[in-house]
Amino acid sequence: MPAPAILQASAPSGLAHPTIVAVALLYVAVVAAIAAWAARRTRTAGDFFVAGRRLGPWTLAIASMSATLSGFAFVGGPGLVQAIGLGAIHIVLSASITGAMGAWVLGKRLRLLAEVRELVTVPDAIGARYDSRAAQGLSAVTILVAVVGYTATNVLALGLIVHAVFGIGLGWAIWIGMLVVLSYSATGGILAGVYTDLFQGAVMAIASALVFVYALDAGGGMAAISAALLAHDPALVGPWGRLTPVAALSLFFVFGVGSLGQPHVVHKFYMLRDPRRLKWYPLLMTASMAVTLLLFFAVGLAAAALVATGRMAPLATPDEATPRFVLEFTPRLLAAIVFAGAAAAIMSTVNSFLSIGAAAVTHDLPRALGLRGVRELRWGRIATVAIAVLAALLAQLPGVLVAFLGIFGFGLFASTLVPALAIGLNWPGATRAGAIASIATGLAVTLALETLAYVRAFSLPAGASVSGLALALSLVVFFVVSWLGRRGAAAAVPADVRAVMES
Amino acid sequence: MTTRRLALLSIFAAALAVLAVQLAAFLPGGLPAWAAPALAAAIALALPALLALGAARNDRGLGRLLWPFLATFVILAGGFGAALFLPPESAADPLWFGLPRRAAIVLVGIGLLPMLVLPLAYAAAFDEHTLRPEDIARIRRLAEQAKERRAASADAEAHAER
Repeated sequence: MPAPAILQASAPSGLAHPTIVAVALLYVAVVAAIAAWAARRTRTAGDFFVAGRRLGPWTLAIASMSATLSGFAFVGGPGLVQAIGLGAIHIVLSASITGAMGAWVLGKRLRLLAEVRELVTVPDAIGARYDSRAAQGLSAVTILVAVVGYTATNVLALGLIVHAVFGIGLGWAIWIGMLVVLSYSATGGILAGVYTDLFQGAVMAIASALVFVYALDAGGGMAAISAALLAHDPALVGPWGRLTPVAALSLFFVFGVGSLGQPHVVHKFYMLRDPRRLKWYPLLMTASMAVTLLLFFAVGLAAAALVATGRMAPLATPDEATPRFVLEFTPRLLAAIVFAGAAAAIMSTVNSFLSIGAAAVTHDLPRALGLRGVRELRWGRIATVAIAVLAALLAQLPGVLVAFLGIFGFGLFASTLVPALAIGLNWPGATRAGAIASIATGLAVTLALETLAYVRAFSLPAGASVSGLALALSLVVFFVVSWLGRRGAAAAVPADVRAVMES
Repeated sequence: MTTRRLALLSIFAAALAVLAVQLAAFLPGGLPAWAAPALAAAIALALPALLALGAARNDRGLGRLLWPFLATFVILAGGFGAALFLPPESAADPLWFGLPRRAAIVLVGIGLLPMLVLPLAYAAAFDEHTLRPEDIARIRRLAEQAKERRAASADAEAHAER
């Protein structure tokens, strides 16, 4: 989920309350305890990068949900709903389908491929599928580019929350927030990450469900909220909100199809202990996503209705919707849990990014370059620290530049990985050239158009979006280039990979 | 035509349609009237096609899974179609599930119905269609063989280096 919307806000005020500070400290203590426990169990690179392949379906589903939803789901998203209405819902609406789609398209095949080839990363799967070090290396580069920018935006968002609670200044807050995430990411790797995700996911779901009830209550029920908005600003409760239908549908397409290309989420399939436990993954993942997204929907609409009816003062920025609502309309303890939930959402996403970024540096790139014998556990920890420090340094840059770095993360993952990974693992006719061409297309189009827009040299006309254009173009390039080289494509798939694809 | 081929063609057609809509934004008069319906149709086609592509085993059909996937197509096409073509509501119109009619169709139809259908369909078809014990046994045999080959290759390399 995108993080930049949260960056439009200055730090929310009113959080330095003893209850909120106490819950924040308790939360950090629980995370630290889980980290210490996990660090003792992390002995190999397999533990560090794929949690020793010993997760059950509950842990897998909750960890995937936590990694999918960043702080955007708690702060930026509701603010967007308050500002542009139900058009913003199209970012998360496809969650009703994506859990099952991920399991059907990637779950079984990635998990079985991991068993056959002892895979650790998503670029590993691409390298194995196409028997290509170039495809593995190129996908690792795209992951690294997206991870650094995406992590920086999330770390800045975390810094804003830490600063709001403890009042220590944004610069220090960024470093302290990063240090907390690093304390478990560098020692326990993804093993610590998934178990903190389990705790963090529970906090997020409980907070969301409770706030949903309070939001409906504050607004007088869903019908009263709708009636208030229909009377004051009917566009907000139209199916597209203030967006055009094409803009809203583009969000649905990018976030729906693009969910198959999010490496920090799909690589968790490798971690499942028993592939037959995938059976319940879609149900658990979809249900946990639905509960956790209740806040996104309800707070946004309730805040809009409360502002429209004069029961809440107008917001200075959309991102104030959640902080203001929970501080004014819920008990202080619940407000504290919501802020812990927002921090939890950000931290779990950052941990997942650090893990896949470190794996790209210490596992995928050396393999792509033909290097062997890298001590992956030690270098994985060093790379985790290096990426974290780089992201924290970038987070200190002006907010607009940090937002630029993070804005293309989801779209870059989608346009570079969906064709080669999601379709390639299900289509024997896909070729190495098709995979490399589509990854290169996604990377080049996204970086070029986002950079041109940032320097104000060129921007797409209304109705077109960089992520939608890049994803559609990389899919078309993948199909066309593969079709042109289709002769002998199926025979070029390694026999063991072919067996997994046909199972 | 096999299920897999039909799914791939559908995804390709959907990607072309999305690309056409994106490029149409560059036209002098802005987005044409067909853009939104075309994008809605592309989404309604692409997601069920991806589900079918993932569920297709080798060149076998989808069996009972055809129905939930068709239902997903109908829900997406019907939901987005209704949102595009039904007239806007006024404050006097009755609410559905506490929401204006078109918003309710999108939120409840697209946001909730597939959630009730697809995860249960996945679980119901899992043992018979998705992953059988014999599939895992076969893959594990392959994994053992691959491991032995890697070990032999590493031994040979170490021997050569000595």
